[in-house]
Amino acid sequence: MKKLTRILMVIVALTSTFTQASEVSFEINGIKSDAGKILIQLFQGKDNYESGNAESALIVKAKTGSVTVNFNELDEGEYIIRFFHDENSNGKLETNLFGAPVEGYGFSNNAKPDFGPVNYSAAKFVVQSRDDKVTNSASVIY
Amino acid sequence: MQRRHFLKGCASLGAGAVIVNSPLKVFASTETARTPQVLNYKALFNDALSQSPELIGFTNVDDDFAPEVLSIEGKIPLDIQGTFYRNGPGKLERGEHRYQHLFEGDGMLQSFTIAQGKIVHKGKFINTPKFQKEQKNKKFLYSGPETVIPDALSVTNADVINTANTNVIAVGDDLWALWEAGSATKVDAKSLEYKEQVILGEHDKYKKTLQGLPFSAHPKVEANGDIWNFGLNSSGHVVLYHLAPNGRAKNVALVNAKYRGGMLHDFLMTEKHLLIILPSLSTKRSFANNRQGGFSRISFDKEQAQRVLVIDKASLTLKKEYELEAGFAFHYGNAWEETDGTIRFDASLYPNADSLHNLSNMMKGEINHSVPNAKAAFYTLSPNGKSSQMILDTNSEFPEVCDHRVGLKNEYLYHLSSKQNSFWSNTVCGFNVNSGKLDSYEFGEEFLVEEHITVCPKQKEGTGYLIGSALHVPSKRTCLNIFNVENISDGPIARAWLSHHLPLGFHGTFKAA
Repeated sequence: MKKLTRILMVIVALTSTFTQASEVSFEINGIKSDAGKILIQLFQGKDNYESGNAESALIVKAKTGSVTVNFNELDEGEYIIRFFHDENSNGKLETNLFGAPVEGYGFSNNAKPDFGPVNYSAAKFVVQSRDDKVTNSASVIY
Repeated sequence: MQRRHFLKGCASLGAGAVIVNSPLKVFASTETARTPQVLNYKALFNDALSQSPELIGFTNVDDDFAPEVLSIEGKIPLDIQGTFYRNGPGKLERGEHRYQHLFEGDGMLQSFTIAQGKIVHKGKFINTPKFQKEQKNKKFLYSGPETVIPDALSVTNADVINTANTNVIAVGDDLWALWEAGSATKVDAKSLEYKEQVILGEHDKYKKTLQGLPFSAHPKVEANGDIWNFGLNSSGHVVLYHLAPNGRAKNVALVNAKYRGGMLHDFLMTEKHLLIILPSLSTKRSFANNRQGGFSRISFDKEQAQRVLVIDKASLTLKKEYELEAGFAFHYGNAWEETDGTIRFDASLYPNADSLHNLSNMMKGEINHSVPNAKAAFYTLSPNGKSSQMILDTNSEFPEVCDHRVGLKNEYLYHLSSKQNSFWSNTVCGFNVNSGKLDSYEFGEEFLVEEHITVCPKQKEGTGYLIGSALHVPSKRTCLNIFNVENISDGPIARAWLSHHLPLGFHGTFKAA
């Protein structure tokens, strides 16, 4: 029995490997300079977003214009992406004394704050299945 | 980079953090989506204008005013050489949309250059980022603090809708046009061309930490040229500024005032202290009243004492707090301190906040003469923590003292007034606070009189001039008036007429040549 279970687990694992082809391609537009880096975080679900528990994170070199990043092998579910242009490469989003960003930033679906913070529902997108291909984009808000 | 470091780096973008702490929250709530007003303010205003010509000062301005040499009555004093600048909302409508509060209009500067017995006027809209975009698109693209524009672009921070419409001061060779919820706006003093939104402290140790912070429209300039100011954040914190005469940041600090009134317009200073005076305003009942606008959600709470925060200028820290009877003031005249630490100051005090909301009613053409006027009020803050107030039966707004007496004991207080409750002032006053003598000149009911500021070439109190504008309703023309402060009741010693009227505005400054 133990042997059978182990064989099944291996089969499941192999199957998963072969079918984990979901991909989120995220394009960031309107980058104003080559200075520094773009730091991008992907969250699964509202709870993880609100608690800052990122599913994945990427850092790419900033490039005037646009850059595209990919998140692969994601489970189906709701996701949200947030990013900022770390112009001075210090690894943190610079803010003013009241906590408002003074470096460029943005969210999936090109969701923007409007007299208040970005709503989760405005920035969320769905990965329908483990072979879903999702494209999304946003402009940097400077 | 360590993952933990990266996550921490992004934390400011969290749902609860981004923008929540921005000064925009002073203007709007996010719990409930704001919806456009059903009322057509433009149609209502135009209907009312045909019946009430005195509303002419709140009509929309289409374009800049080209330079015009004014026709002069009387004689301009030879010791007034320079430019008188005024600021106020000029663009109130685009297409079918009319703003629902006067405070929302795009700033327009009026300059009156006085030289060799002549006065040349010109008027120019301040070409802010908001104005540039909306002018190009020929429509309002953004909702304002009060007005919801359908399908508006996102307002991601306060400076996106910074109209720079409230005051103007000279800083170095430039002008700073001031709003109160965002940055100062730098303007060329000669051409009135927009230069940039000022990032305070950018070239000092503050880098970008002061970018976009609220900077009130009522900075106080000390005799040595240093500039002091404050800004209110929705969190209830007040940011305090001490700037050099050229605008460089010397010291900036935060004080948690725990103030949720939604608006704080003016403040005072003495030689040693700043006075942050928190009126009896509240936004607590806004949802119960279904008032979502940035101004309409503000209500007067007669059970809420006014509070005075006494801030040490040297350290920008809170030293003492006083409570006063409930009241509301847009403006204060002056404060000064006796040797034993007693602080005295004056206010143009309203018994409630109806005057704030009346500036919305006027935008739809409603004139309400029953809205109480502000009275001249004098306060004493004693070192033992007690306070007292004396309210005169004199209507008072736009109080002023001579520039060189700001923060020092003043003998004279200049202000506007009106004998009856009226929706705008029609009288200029000089009040001797020692003798109680009031010297005043009433323009008459046909005039809507605007702020008159002091110009004191001799730097001697009780001498010099008052200079300000007034709109003559029947002729639809605005005039500039110069009074000798020693004989205000004699009327203006010089008056210069434009060929047209100017929009009623707020505050100004005189920049000597």
